[in-house]
Amino acid sequence: MSKVKCNHCHLEFSESIMIKEEELNFCCKGCQGVYHLLQDQNLDSFYDKLGNKTIQPPLEVSSDLNKFDTQSFEKIYVTEDENGYKKVDLIIEGIHCAACIWLNEKVLYNTDGIIDASINFTNNKAKIVWNSEKIALSQIIEKIRSIGYNAFAYNSKIADEKASLAKRDYFIRMMVAVFATMNIMMLSVAKYTGFFTGITPEVRHLIHLGEFILSTPVIFYSGWIFYRGAYYGLKNRILNMDFLVSAGATFTYIYSVFILFGLKGESYFDSVSMIITFVLVGKYLEVLGKKSAVDTLDTIKSQIPLETTLIKDGKKVEVSVEDIQIGDIVELKTGDKASVDGIIIKGESSFDESSISGESLPIYKKANDVIFSGTLNQDSLVQYRVTKTFKDSTLNSIVTLLEDSLASKPKIEHKANEISKGFSVMILTLSILTFLVWYFFGIDLGFDYDGVSHFEKSFIVAISVIVIACPCALALATPIASLIGISELAKKGLLFKEAKFIEELARTTKLVVDKTGTITNGKLSVVKAQILDENIHKLDLLYSLLDSSTHPISTSIKEYLKNHYKNLSLKNLSNVKTLQAKGMKAIYKNLEDKEFEILGGNQKLIEEFGIKYKFDSQNSVYIFAINKKVIATFELKDEIKDFAREFVSDCLKNNIDVIMLTGDNQNVANYVAKEVGIKTVVANINPIQKAKYINKLKEEGHTVVMAGDGVNDSVALSSANVSIAMGNGADISIAVSDIVLLNNSLESLNQAFIISRKTYKFIKQNLAISLIYNLITIPLAMAGFVMPLIAALSMSLSSLIVVANSLRIKGK
Amino acid sequence: MIDSTLLMMLVVGLVVSFAILGMFIWGAKTGQFDDSNKMMDGLLFDSQEDLNDAVSRENKKEKDKEEQKKSKPKN
Repeated sequence: MSKVKCNHCHLEFSESIMIKEEELNFCCKGCQGVYHLLQDQNLDSFYDKLGNKTIQPPLEVSSDLNKFDTQSFEKIYVTEDENGYKKVDLIIEGIHCAACIWLNEKVLYNTDGIIDASINFTNNKAKIVWNSEKIALSQIIEKIRSIGYNAFAYNSKIADEKASLAKRDYFIRMMVAVFATMNIMMLSVAKYTGFFTGITPEVRHLIHLGEFILSTPVIFYSGWIFYRGAYYGLKNRILNMDFLVSAGATFTYIYSVFILFGLKGESYFDSVSMIITFVLVGKYLEVLGKKSAVDTLDTIKSQIPLETTLIKDGKKVEVSVEDIQIGDIVELKTGDKASVDGIIIKGESSFDESSISGESLPIYKKANDVIFSGTLNQDSLVQYRVTKTFKDSTLNSIVTLLEDSLASKPKIEHKANEISKGFSVMILTLSILTFLVWYFFGIDLGFDYDGVSHFEKSFIVAISVIVIACPCALALATPIASLIGISELAKKGLLFKEAKFIEELARTTKLVVDKTGTITNGKLSVVKAQILDENIHKLDLLYSLLDSSTHPISTSIKEYLKNHYKNLSLKNLSNVKTLQAKGMKAIYKNLEDKEFEILGGNQKLIEEFGIKYKFDSQNSVYIFAINKKVIATFELKDEIKDFAREFVSDCLKNNIDVIMLTGDNQNVANYVAKEVGIKTVVANINPIQKAKYINKLKEEGHTVVMAGDGVNDSVALSSANVSIAMGNGADISIAVSDIVLLNNSLESLNQAFIISRKTYKFIKQNLAISLIYNLITIPLAMAGFVMPLIAALSMSLSSLIVVANSLRIKGK
Repeated sequence: MIDSTLLMMLVVGLVVSFAILGMFIWGAKTGQFDDSNKMMDGLLFDSQEDLNDAVSRENKKEKDKEEQKKSKPKN
């Protein structure tokens, strides 16, 4: 059947399922509604701006609008400006392109009572100012939802404002430095060309003057942060990298000012601004990384509900999430998000855990199953007993974890700072020694003074030692490579808590993996199918019934049918109903108007409808029946993850021995290990034994990396050199692990190893470059062979090499 | 002669450059460069209709502020 585009979202669907309206096609009621709303409000130019791009169909959201007008919400998120207007910071969900921003802003501005509404396209954050006498916040949110988007509030006061201000501040300082340095470089080209083609002293003086004017804001405005850093360092009795950068720049600047005002020689304003600019660009990248981390954090935080319904003495009470105690009974309605972790005691439902694990398929949960905070109840009412307070619940733990990683400085940076501390002292000492030797003993040693005074020559040589050693390359060697490595890793859904794990991961010799959740995934696949009636029309009905559900079992069987039967088509089913935790029911009318009752689901459903069909299996079961006659049965089981075989063979190729530790029985473990190519398997092992096994490997001198997901892996994870938690893992395993795999795939795990090895290689190369550079140039500078001019040029070159070398991590 | 021309060029060049830099800093300080993606897509939003919209938004803000001021003394 041909596919047509939805007139609102532009996504393509089979023509049979489209809602038709003369020439128009809509994939769902939501799209239809938004389309007409935009037409009515003369906002149809949205579609011109959208062009050929596709957007997400309108989000289905629950009717929780009242919470936006509650006092607890106002207390946390709403502020008042000087004019008496209310202000709120929101994160808008569903924004895909500039046209979405345009539409949201336009609709909001056209609403009476809204004073200001600006949405940031980069992070989808919005600032709304409104007159509370004319409109309520819930009405504003309703407006946003009516055009197919959704909004969550976040508290910008905590981190966002600070990060935004820091980003803006560094951006301006960096741009001033870049602007001035570029102009100085142009003037310098003229000056250096003049050395070969001839230049009058007046023109040279003019160039020096121009350079002076341009470099002054660079050193005192852009470079201010280095002076500040050096000051705080000195206050704490630490000579840090900032000190060396600012000392080198200041000395060179002062010397150049003397040259400008009459002293004989060359000025080095260009090297002053180069030093500042280069290091500043590195710092700006760091600030940028922090800002995007804050944005991610705000998005996660905005998902946390503020209030929840408790059942107390048979009555429902709304309480703030902070007041929930362990043992309380929480009622979770359809469309509600769990605010605390707990265990289901009543009801069954599917949960969307995407905010925790990134997995888009909903997970079916029944009594005694664990509910994680931040997950969304999708179909029916459940009650659960709280097992953790809000503070210790999954979502809040993830937030705290991320906040901690933002606040803590990577250990590798500590190390680099320590090196630079020693380096700074050494260079300053060498420089002073050089000056003293040149000034007092130069003549005895037969040094060449080029006809200038002793003091001047000694000063130039001493300055050139500082300038040449200005540790741009050293300062940039590790952070630039780590930063590029970590951002590359983050793009692939790999969160590294500290940069040092790049190094550890690169040096891994043993990789220990858990079976369930690491090598196999929670996704079910059909292991046995019995089609009792192969009539294609009947299978079409099964296919259509499966198509109307997003349940993992339905999705897996649909996939199976697609792979095994060609020419399946979708039929028009009516009265499609989801029977919670049992399956689905629908009615089909054929051309002769004859009705068929269609059922698909588990044993319970079949029994409920009075169909006598016994089906025993250890696996999950799906039975399909038409008019009470069973047509097909399916058995489903957990399957081995894609890419598992390639991942194991890649590890072996890189001399990483893969070991599987599992609590499962020997047969299953052997089967899985054989399938993926793992040679060492230890089955029937408990969590403590897992940890002991890892400790033994460590004692043998191996660098051990452990990848796991369950609570049972947490002890082992904490024993390994580096622990990797699969994203859908339990909160405890995420808490003790060093790296979190957001998308849970082995391909990303493989990428973690590949990118880490690559980054580590480049860090080593960078350190070697700067070390060799310093070893060659510092003695030359001390001996007076390197003039500050050449020192500045070569220093810039070494920094450029380090930056360019690090950028190669992104390649391939 | 050449030197005075050069001096003049240098001065004009620096003045123009610093003026542009000043405008840039003003833009950055007022948050116009905070959203890099929106800035890049700015071209999509400068039709006559969009510019008219921008003016009417400003007018609406002013009107609302005046109303707010008027209503305040009564309270």
